[in-house]
Amino acid sequence: MRTKQEYLIRYKDGNLYCELADVWIDPSKPVKNALITHAHFDHFTFGCEEYISTKETAILLKERVGDNIKIKTFEYGEEFKINGINISFHPSGHILGSSQIRFIFAEEKWLISGDFKLQKDETCQQYEIVKTDYLISECTFGLPIFKWDESNKIANDISKWISNSPEKTSLLFCYSLGKAQRLLNEISQTNFKGNIYSHGSIHKMNNIYRELGIDIKDTIKIENKKKIDELKGSLILLPPSLSKGSYLKNFKNIQTAFASGWMSIRALRKRSGYDKGFPISDHADWDGILEVVKKSEAKNVFFHHGDSEALSKFLIEKESINVLFFGK
Amino acid sequence: MSLKNFSELFVDLDSSNSTNNKIEFLKNYFLSNDPIDNSWAIYLLTGKSNKRFISGRYLKNLFSQIYEYPQWLIDTCYLKVGDSAEVITLLLKNKTNSRKKKLSNISLNELLSEIIPALSKLNEEEKNLEIKNLWETLPEDNHLIFNKILTGTFRVGVSIGLITKSISKLINIEEEIISHRLMGNFVPSIDSYEFLINKTINLQELNSKPFPFLLANTIEDKIFKNSINDFQFEWKYDGIRMQLIKRSGNVSLWTRGQELVNESFPELVEKMSHIKDDFVLDGELLVWNFKEQIAFDFSLLQKRINRKSPTRSIQKKYPIIFIAYDLLEINGKDIREIKLENRRIELEKYFSKWQNKTENNISNIFKICDLIFPKNWTDALTYKEKSRENNTEGLIIKKKTSIYSFGRKKGIWWKYKVDPMQLDAVLIYAKGGSGRRAGLYTDYSFALWKDQELIKFASAYSGLTNIEIKELDKWIRKNTIEKFGPVRSLKPEMVFEISFEKIQISKRHKSGIAVRFPRITKWRKDKKINDADSIENAYELMKKIL
Repeated sequence: MRTKQEYLIRYKDGNLYCELADVWIDPSKPVKNALITHAHFDHFTFGCEEYISTKETAILLKERVGDNIKIKTFEYGEEFKINGINISFHPSGHILGSSQIRFIFAEEKWLISGDFKLQKDETCQQYEIVKTDYLISECTFGLPIFKWDESNKIANDISKWISNSPEKTSLLFCYSLGKAQRLLNEISQTNFKGNIYSHGSIHKMNNIYRELGIDIKDTIKIENKKKIDELKGSLILLPPSLSKGSYLKNFKNIQTAFASGWMSIRALRKRSGYDKGFPISDHADWDGILEVVKKSEAKNVFFHHGDSEALSKFLIEKESINVLFFGK
Repeated sequence: MSLKNFSELFVDLDSSNSTNNKIEFLKNYFLSNDPIDNSWAIYLLTGKSNKRFISGRYLKNLFSQIYEYPQWLIDTCYLKVGDSAEVITLLLKNKTNSRKKKLSNISLNELLSEIIPALSKLNEEEKNLEIKNLWETLPEDNHLIFNKILTGTFRVGVSIGLITKSISKLINIEEEIISHRLMGNFVPSIDSYEFLINKTINLQELNSKPFPFLLANTIEDKIFKNSINDFQFEWKYDGIRMQLIKRSGNVSLWTRGQELVNESFPELVEKMSHIKDDFVLDGELLVWNFKEQIAFDFSLLQKRINRKSPTRSIQKKYPIIFIAYDLLEINGKDIREIKLENRRIELEKYFSKWQNKTENNISNIFKICDLIFPKNWTDALTYKEKSRENNTEGLIIKKKTSIYSFGRKKGIWWKYKVDPMQLDAVLIYAKGGSGRRAGLYTDYSFALWKDQELIKFASAYSGLTNIEIKELDKWIRKNTIEKFGPVRSLKPEMVFEISFEKIQISKRHKSGIAVRFPRITKWRKDKKINDADSIENAYELMKKIL
C-alpha cells in the first residue's frame, strides 16, 4: 500500500494537484499552471500564470476571464508532455469544450473525469470511454434515486408547460453556459413554435456556441421594459441568480420553472420556490457513474464533488471495486 | 385512461401555487372523467382515505428483496427524499419492463375498489408477488400515486375548501351547500358524486350532517377600537370542537374534522336523546373536573378520543361534558342567519327548559358556556391572563350582531390566546426532516441545565424561517459530535427561546417535566449557553401557574 503523497495526483489545499508536472486541475486559487476541464465558474479562477485547455474551453474562458490571459490549447486526444508526464484531453460530454484529462507516467494511467454525462447532447461532443488504472470521478448525483429521462421527453414537457398557459410568460431558469444551449437545441425540436428570449448572459454564450459551429436556435435578447403583451405565451431563459430579487418585477403574469437534476426530488422542487421543476442535468446519473467506473476498467477509484459515501460503499460491497479516499 | 388522468392531475396540482389554476385543473378533471372516478378523486384529494395498506418500511424492504438492493442504500436515499413512496418510485424508474404495461388503461376506480382492497386478503407471499406484478404492469407515471395510496401517504396541497370551490364553480351553486354536502363520511360512489353535483338542493339528504363550522381568527389590533359592548366573550376551551345534532330523534356527534364520533361518547348520545326538541348545537367536548368545575388537561381527553365503546369504568374515570356555545337549528328551523345575541337568548331559553325536566337528567354531562363580561379592553386582558387558572387557552370574542357563517370568516370571531410560557434552551440534537424538509436538519431537541449537565426537555420542529433553517443546517453539519442513524448530537453552543402552552410534571421524561406545543420563537444568537435556563427555572414556571 502506498501513502497518499506518492499518488501521481492528490489533493492539495482543496484542489487536485500533480506534483511531478507541477500542474493544478481546475484550481480555485491563482497558480502557475492550471489545467481547465471546462469553463463553468466553479472550475477556474482568475489570475493563473498559464491556463491549458481545449480550444473551445479557451474561447469560453477568454470570454469570462478576459482576452489577455495566457492560454495554451490542445485538441481532444492530442498528447502533450509536462515534465515527462503525458497528458491529454478527452470529451466528457458535459458542455461545449468540456474534457476529461488523462495523465500517463511510467506506464501508470490516471484519469480525471471532470464533470461529465453520457446522455445525448447535440451541443457538445459525446463522452469518450477512456481506459485507466486510476479514476478520479465526480459524483454530484451519486445516489440511485437519480435516473434521468431522455432529454427530448423533458423538452416536450417544457413545451407543454408553456402552451398550457398561453396567457402567461414562461420563465425558465437554467445555467447560462451549457444547459441553456442544450435546452434551446432540444426545445427547437418540439412543437413549441413561439418566441424564445434569453437574458444577456445566455445570449452571449449562444453566440459563441453558434460561432463554434453548434446549431442553436436564434433567440431574442431580452430587454427590460418589453411590452407585456409581446411576451405572452413566449419562453424566456434566465440564469438562476435572477430568480430571487427584484428582476422578476419586470414581468407580469408569469410562471417559473427551474431546469436542474435536483428537481427530480419533490421536496427540493417544493422548497425551490419555482412553480415547476424540470429534472435535466449535464452531470451523470447513478447508472452513468457506474457505467463509467466499469468501462474505464479502473482498478482504483476516487470520488470528489458530491456525497460519495453511499456510492463508495456500494462499489466496494457489490462491485468489489477498490475505492480510495484523498486526505484533505 | 383515468388513472393516468389522475396522475397528471396530481402533477398539475402539485406544481401549481395558484389557487385559480388549481380550481381550473380540478374543474377540467371533473368534466372529463367518469362520476365514479371523480368520486374517488375527491375521496383521495380531501384526505378521507388515509388507510395504510402497508407501511413505508415494508415497501422499502420489499423493493430491497425483489431487486436485491442493500437496505442501507435505500435508507440513504430516503434521507434525501423524505418519503418512502417517492423513494421507491424513483428507484423503480427504468427497472420495470415496459412491454408488460398491460394495465395502462386501468381506472382509478378499479385500482381503489378492486386491486388494492384485494391485496389485504392475500397472505404475505402472495401480496409481495402481487405488488411486484403491479409495479411491472402499471405505467411508470402511475407509480407514485400507487405507492402513496398503498402506504396511506397520499397528500397534495388541496384543501377541502378548494374542492368545494371547484365544484361550486362547476355547477354554479353556493359554496355553503357544497361544503355541507362534503361534510362527514364521504363514501366514494356514483351516487355520492351525483349528490355532490346535484343542482337541486334536497334538504332531506342533508339531515344528519353538521353545518360547516365557523372558525375564529387570531386577534387583530383594530378590534380594540370598537366598543366592548359590541362583543360576546367566552372562555376558549382546549377540547374537541363539535356539533351535537338531534334530528328526528337521532343524535349525532360531529367533530370539526368531520368525523362522526357517537361510538366514543355513548353516554352523551344516550342522555341527549331524552330531550324532546330537535336541535343543532355548536360546542366543545371536554373531560371535566366536576368538583372544581374546570376542564381537565387535554391529555385526559386523548384517552377517550380514539377509544370506541368505552367501558363504564373508563366513562367514570374520564367523565366528559359537552359545553354548548351556540344554537344553530331548533326543531327543524335553521337559525344561523339570526344575530348571535338573539341565538344566545334562544340557547339559554331552551337550556333552562331542558334542564328543568328531571327525566332528562342532563346537568352532569351538558351545559352552556358561561359568558364573561369585561368592563373594558384592559379588563378583557386581565381575564385572558387568568385563563390558565381555569385551564382554558384564553378568550373567544364574538361580534354580537354576527350570523353563523362558515370557515375562517374575517371580522366576526377572534381568539385571544394567553401568551405562551418561555424558556431559553440549548440545542443538543438534530434530526433530518421528512417531506418538504427532507435533506435538511429540521427536527431539533433542546436541553436545560441541571447542575453542570444539559438535560433534554423538549423537541421542536417549527418556528424558524426557511433562511434560518438553512443557516442552522449548515452549522449542524459543521458542529456534529456524533451521528446515530439520522440523529446528530451537537456541540452545545446555540441557544433558542422555546415557547409552549403548558408545563407539568412527567415521570416519563428524564427532565421530569413535559411541555405542550413547544416551538421555537427566537434564535438567541445574543446568548451563550451559560445564559440558558435551568430545570429549576422550569419548576418555578410551574409553581407560578399552580
